[in-house]
Amino acid sequence: MSKVGAISDSERICFQSVVQRFRLIQERPDTLREAFAHLFRNRVSYHDFEALKRVSFVIRQGETVAIIGRNGSGKSTILKIIAGVYRPTSGRVKVSGKVSALIELGAGFHPDLTGRENIILNGLLLGLSRQEIRSREQQILDFAELGEFIDSPVKQYSSGMYARLGFAVATEVDPDILLIDEILAVGDAPFQEKCLARIDDFRQRGKTIIYVSHSVPSVRRLCERALLIHDGVLCADGSTEQVLAAYEDVLHQAVNA
Amino acid sequence: MLQLAQEVWKNRELIWALAVKELRVRYKRSALGFLWALLNPLLMMVILTMVFSTLMRVPVHNYPIFLISTLLPWTFFSQSLAYSAESIVSNGELLKKVYVAKSVFPIAAVVSNLINFFLSMIPLVLLLVVFRFPFYWTWFYLLIPLVSLILFTMGCCFFFSMVNVFFRDMSHILQVLLQAWFYFCPIIYSLDFVPARYRTLFRLNPLVYPLNGFRLAIYYGLLPTSQSMVLSLGCGIVALVVGYKLFQRSQDTLVFYV
Repeated sequence: MSKVGAISDSERICFQSVVQRFRLIQERPDTLREAFAHLFRNRVSYHDFEALKRVSFVIRQGETVAIIGRNGSGKSTILKIIAGVYRPTSGRVKVSGKVSALIELGAGFHPDLTGRENIILNGLLLGLSRQEIRSREQQILDFAELGEFIDSPVKQYSSGMYARLGFAVATEVDPDILLIDEILAVGDAPFQEKCLARIDDFRQRGKTIIYVSHSVPSVRRLCERALLIHDGVLCADGSTEQVLAAYEDVLHQAVNA
Repeated sequence: MLQLAQEVWKNRELIWALAVKELRVRYKRSALGFLWALLNPLLMMVILTMVFSTLMRVPVHNYPIFLISTLLPWTFFSQSLAYSAESIVSNGELLKKVYVAKSVFPIAAVVSNLINFFLSMIPLVLLLVVFRFPFYWTWFYLLIPLVSLILFTMGCCFFFSMVNVFFRDMSHILQVLLQAWFYFCPIIYSLDFVPARYRTLFRLNPLVYPLNGFRLAIYYGLLPTSQSMVLSLGCGIVALVVGYKLFQRSQDTLVFYV
């Protein structure tokens, strides 16, 4: 996957019939004898699973795009491909610009290190230099509002505090493309409002945002465009209202089936 | 190789931070903290000296120094391997979420153990002072066995950290392997004790060359033959090239198996 070289200036992300195949491990020894057989054959069986089936789309500079769909439909897989975590099985992906992911905040925090130590480690993991982190440390501290907890090990944090610190670090990366995966579910209302305000700020500065969420109101508020993914297939791509209507249909089918 | 150098340079701050984190976490909340880096090799030396010098009467003068001159580099090697074998697997959750060059984890494991190794040189120096043992000028030569050992260790670490992702049995195998390798290396004995007809067999062990370099320079005050120097560097370079190539080949698929 090439990270630079867009097809045209304004294109930030381009997917061309992208397929992502996973190997699923099948381990289901039903009986004790089978379990033993497994132990000695020592071969688990695999079967291939296509998480994305020939998905194509283009996202331009400054767009805020929601990706919606049911659990396991392939939304997070798309984000991981954009972030460079997965290399797709086939198809072409072009991403231009610095990407930062708010995928499960605080991934990479070490429980025994203090909040302050984790800011540095996490910032480095997200691609900042030590100097950049130092110059942004105060903003991160202000945003996270951890008070004296900042010098305690993060294993003593509540999940809300954990998420606040994670969000504060990840958005200080100042990316061209910001990936957000279901993160506003954590934190109390004032913090959620603060996160939304920061996302708004990103939009005003012309950044590209990909937003994955099950929360319809926040999708309506943030995104003008949406993609609907169902069973790894891109079903709809258009204005948020159109796509949300299509999503309603999918949900109804699921409930009735 | 150029690519490895670029990766290291680009991620130098991250590698350093991970290595320091590793050490911090290792010694955090223990009363003696970093002193353990100094105490550990000393205690190990006391045990091995009691067993092999006092009980089994290995005929070597100043056995503690004879021993520790190769025990310290060996500890660096074995600890680096043990840590790096787990390094990718234990950071799996992170690798599934953010893009990070995978090579930083085994490299950081080696760097943290290298820091530990340098710290453990302090008790070695103290020991020499206590035993009124001379500091030979050959200490300057130590750079060559050290570089060889680092290259060889790094290559092995790339290999084991990668293989352990696909084949978790590896971490168990590694424990046994390291135990066997320890006795196969001239650490508690020297190659002179080995019957002549087996010596060729022992020379197949690539670790023999850097370890001998350490012992000759510290304990005997001698330089190894140029053949031995070339072999020790050569083994290191080959191990690094092969280890890194194998690591690189599978680094895109690692994330699906962690």
